[in-house]
Amino acid sequence: MDLSPNEKRLLVLLEKVKTADPSALAAEMGVSPESVIQYAYLLADRGLCRVEKEVKTTYSLTEEGQRYASEGLPERQLLGSFNEKIPVQELTRHPLARIGIGQMKRKGWVVVRGGMVEKTGKDAPGEDELALRDLSRGGPGLAELRRRNLVTENLETRYRISVTPEGLDWARRGLDMSEEAGTLTREQIVSGSWKGLKLRKYSLKAPPRKIYPGKIHPYQRVIEEMRQILLCMGFTEIYGGIVQSAFWNFDALFQPQDHPAREMQDTFYLKETLPLPEGYERVRDMHLFGGNTSSTGWGGRWSREKAEQCVLRTHTTCLSIQHLATHPEPPVKAFCINRVYRREAIDPTHLPEFEQLEGIVMDRDVTFRHLLGFLKEFYHRMGFPGVRFRPGYFPYTEPSVEPEVFVPSLGWVEMGGAGIFRQEVTAPFGITHPVLAWGLGVSRIAMLRLGLSDLRLLYKIDIGWVRETPSWLHGPDTGVGGQKCR
Amino acid sequence: MPVIRLYYRYLEKLVGTDRETILANLPMIGSDIERVEEDHVDVEFFPSRPDLFSVEGVARAMRGYLGIETGLPRYSVTPSGIEFSVDPGLATIRPYLGSAVIRNVKLDEESILSLMGLQEALHWAVGRGRSKVAIGIHDLDAVTPPFRYMAAEKSHAFVPLDFDREMTLDQILDEHPKGRAYAHIVSDFPRYPLIVDARDRVLSFPPIINGELTRVTQETRNLLLDTTGTDERAVATAVNIICTALADTGATVQSVTIGGRECPSLAPSERIVSSDDASALLGVPLDSTALSSLLEKMRYGAGPAGVSHVRVLIPCYRADIMHDWDIFEDAAIAYGYGTFDAEMPRTFTVGAPHPVMAIYAVAREVMSGLGYQEVLPFTLTNERVLATKMQRPLKDSVLRVMHPISEEQTVVRTDLLPLLLEMCQLNRHRELPQRLYAVGDVVGGTHTYPRAACVSTHAAADFSEAYAVADAFCRELDVAVSVEESDDPAFIPGRRGNLVSGGKTVGVFGEIHPAVLNAWELEHPVAAVEIDLTAVPGYPGQQGTP
Repeated sequence: MDLSPNEKRLLVLLEKVKTADPSALAAEMGVSPESVIQYAYLLADRGLCRVEKEVKTTYSLTEEGQRYASEGLPERQLLGSFNEKIPVQELTRHPLARIGIGQMKRKGWVVVRGGMVEKTGKDAPGEDELALRDLSRGGPGLAELRRRNLVTENLETRYRISVTPEGLDWARRGLDMSEEAGTLTREQIVSGSWKGLKLRKYSLKAPPRKIYPGKIHPYQRVIEEMRQILLCMGFTEIYGGIVQSAFWNFDALFQPQDHPAREMQDTFYLKETLPLPEGYERVRDMHLFGGNTSSTGWGGRWSREKAEQCVLRTHTTCLSIQHLATHPEPPVKAFCINRVYRREAIDPTHLPEFEQLEGIVMDRDVTFRHLLGFLKEFYHRMGFPGVRFRPGYFPYTEPSVEPEVFVPSLGWVEMGGAGIFRQEVTAPFGITHPVLAWGLGVSRIAMLRLGLSDLRLLYKIDIGWVRETPSWLHGPDTGVGGQKCR
Repeated sequence: MPVIRLYYRYLEKLVGTDRETILANLPMIGSDIERVEEDHVDVEFFPSRPDLFSVEGVARAMRGYLGIETGLPRYSVTPSGIEFSVDPGLATIRPYLGSAVIRNVKLDEESILSLMGLQEALHWAVGRGRSKVAIGIHDLDAVTPPFRYMAAEKSHAFVPLDFDREMTLDQILDEHPKGRAYAHIVSDFPRYPLIVDARDRVLSFPPIINGELTRVTQETRNLLLDTTGTDERAVATAVNIICTALADTGATVQSVTIGGRECPSLAPSERIVSSDDASALLGVPLDSTALSSLLEKMRYGAGPAGVSHVRVLIPCYRADIMHDWDIFEDAAIAYGYGTFDAEMPRTFTVGAPHPVMAIYAVAREVMSGLGYQEVLPFTLTNERVLATKMQRPLKDSVLRVMHPISEEQTVVRTDLLPLLLEMCQLNRHRELPQRLYAVGDVVGGTHTYPRAACVSTHAAADFSEAYAVADAFCRELDVAVSVEESDDPAFIPGRRGNLVSGGKTVGVFGEIHPAVLNAWELEHPVAAVEIDLTAVPGYPGQQGTP
């Protein structure tokens, strides 16, 4: 059993005095009585002393109570201010009238009749007045004074500390009283005096103080992990504006102008417009009749005004096509993880803005098989060993595919869309080789990795959650860690 | 997307196999299974395949995919001798008409519901909410041919479906539920489209409502189809899809004469495709024979035309075949997406982060090192957050979305700092100190700019802390700044500064104004910094990202 120096000093003292109150011991030890009580409880935990606690109630007059004790209660003073009777109106001018009149009536000292206050002749001092003179009388008088806030109750705690036979035994066997140091000082380290120094030991039972480091948001970490995987695979990162013309967001991707996804209930339109790029006519012709490809095009009409109107980008595919337009020669491998906007009401699985992972591979001889190969590799690296492919439909890819990953708790989970850009998309920009493309849901992967079921937590966050989420992210509930690329 | 209800009993009968096989293969022909129930399954098909919006269409595709019946389904059409004329007045209103007669239909409650379901799904996918195409199905025996598609006076009256009294066309638009729902399509027209029989009885007021006269019931034996619209190809597609679905139930399709032409023909169209192109696209070697047999599974008529070409007959109900690759996708589906030997592309390139993203990454690292915790606020916000609560004027360059979903999200953020204060408000119950930062895009005009901002709130947060953090951040990002007095009303006068770089104000820092703290219901001082990261050396371009 290790006693702290203070516990030892207290025990030595108790051996002499056997029993004492904390203030006496405090004076002797040169510390505060509160400290003595603290040391005594530590000794008591080891059975070396006993702490007796006694709570005593005392009463004292409030400031108002003290005044009435010398001048009399308001009703007594008021009663003495007039003779047999007095008009109510006149009496109310007395400064104590507000409290006094009611009390006089209640005690039966006066009656009010025809606008006059008349004494009844009964005015013997009550219990309250007696208690006011001597609080130790207690009883109903004291209770009444407390009710009137003239008296307050004080709780006084008294301690009595006595040594136990075990404590005496310990003290008599002798205690090592050499000093312990709380801190190691520069002086002690440099001079070498630390060699004779005894450093206080800390308890491991007490929990550490909790501190929270500055950190990157857990969702951003998942995004960084994906970025790293793609950078390691040799992809160039692309970035671009949030505001796009409908031309780049839709028309350049061969989405017909009457496509439901272009309607304003799905897309955030802005009143701003942006000019069409040079050569936009090739895109227009593609819509109208298939340009110079084997395609029939959509037919119908194509409106320049519709193409010029600005939207908040509904996908980052608009950045991919712009990158391809300026890099039409193979090979191109590019990606982008950034925010996109859809006009959806906020609920646990939908948000009007969310991240999308966008990627393209353009080369001389890439095929659908390569697209599947890339998707498989990416998800394996994100920690999903089970990947399968289903047919999909997107207006700008052909063939199209929906990759799914297997999550033991959920089954097959849809993960986004992919495909090979249609020639109607690539031909107007002079791109002659196949472009593998995908747009994958980032938040869905992040939710699986972070164990979240509510998408909103990723953004409108509780910083408590960010503080408690570890920075090291291991695999989702597949039990397989994401293969980091460092 | 429309959800199609498929009852197993009928589906099994049409396909000729058990439900387990069908359910296992449905996703592999291109659909999302919504719900599997005791007696039916609800399936969502892609909008590119309206021919799968009926149980007959699904069964037809499934028989091919499973190899039960492959190749082009043949449909014969005989002339009905019925004439259907189109008034020239419709040219500027709703010019195109398609029609057909379908005889010997056997309808029960289920098949009427199924037919109505197909009709509604087509209205959505092909008809774009009836504006492009609208379909009416009538009891042929209740009316007398020839029929006439005309532009009628708005005062013309008839008894619309589900009503028992005559109403004028305008009344229908005002009072009938369908009228109110679709009035916007015709409201600008001087006259309204109307279909009448030889005795001027009204069959239909397209695209709004049919007449009660030709209501289809379980007793109906012969049907007349009218399809009107603004796009000739879409009108024809809708006719073909309905006719082939009904023909698959055993009914007989007959053509109607419209302007001297017989409609529909239900004949396939033809394309010659290259099996080399298909091999190159899909990455599996396919000769013309192999490609042909894959396409036959997808219900094309297909046969080798030489060693490297295939002559493809495209069924009349396929609306989505615009390009050779559309056919190759079907070959891939027939091949089986699960069968492909997935292989990583061998394209060698050297990866590189985008400079803006690289700057963001370092900004995060520095802010984290300074003890700040990252948060990811939304980009969409509102004027109260950006301006009112900040005591700032709303910037002229702010972008307003035209049809916001809620009052909370009406503009695109022009600054990050207000969103960080909002975050502090949301986290008032959390332990102090709170040091939060955000890096991300803001928008001004049509340009996007990168920003970083941070807030620190605790009892001792003050100007000195903000100044020290701004200074450290700028040093770490190698932004050469000088500091001058700021007049930003979000901060306390005398406790605020602007960061100036290259003669331009690129940031602001200081102690947040107590009135702003009150507005955000914050009880402790806040030291804050916001900086425009276009000032960071190496930022590509000077004007933000268009």
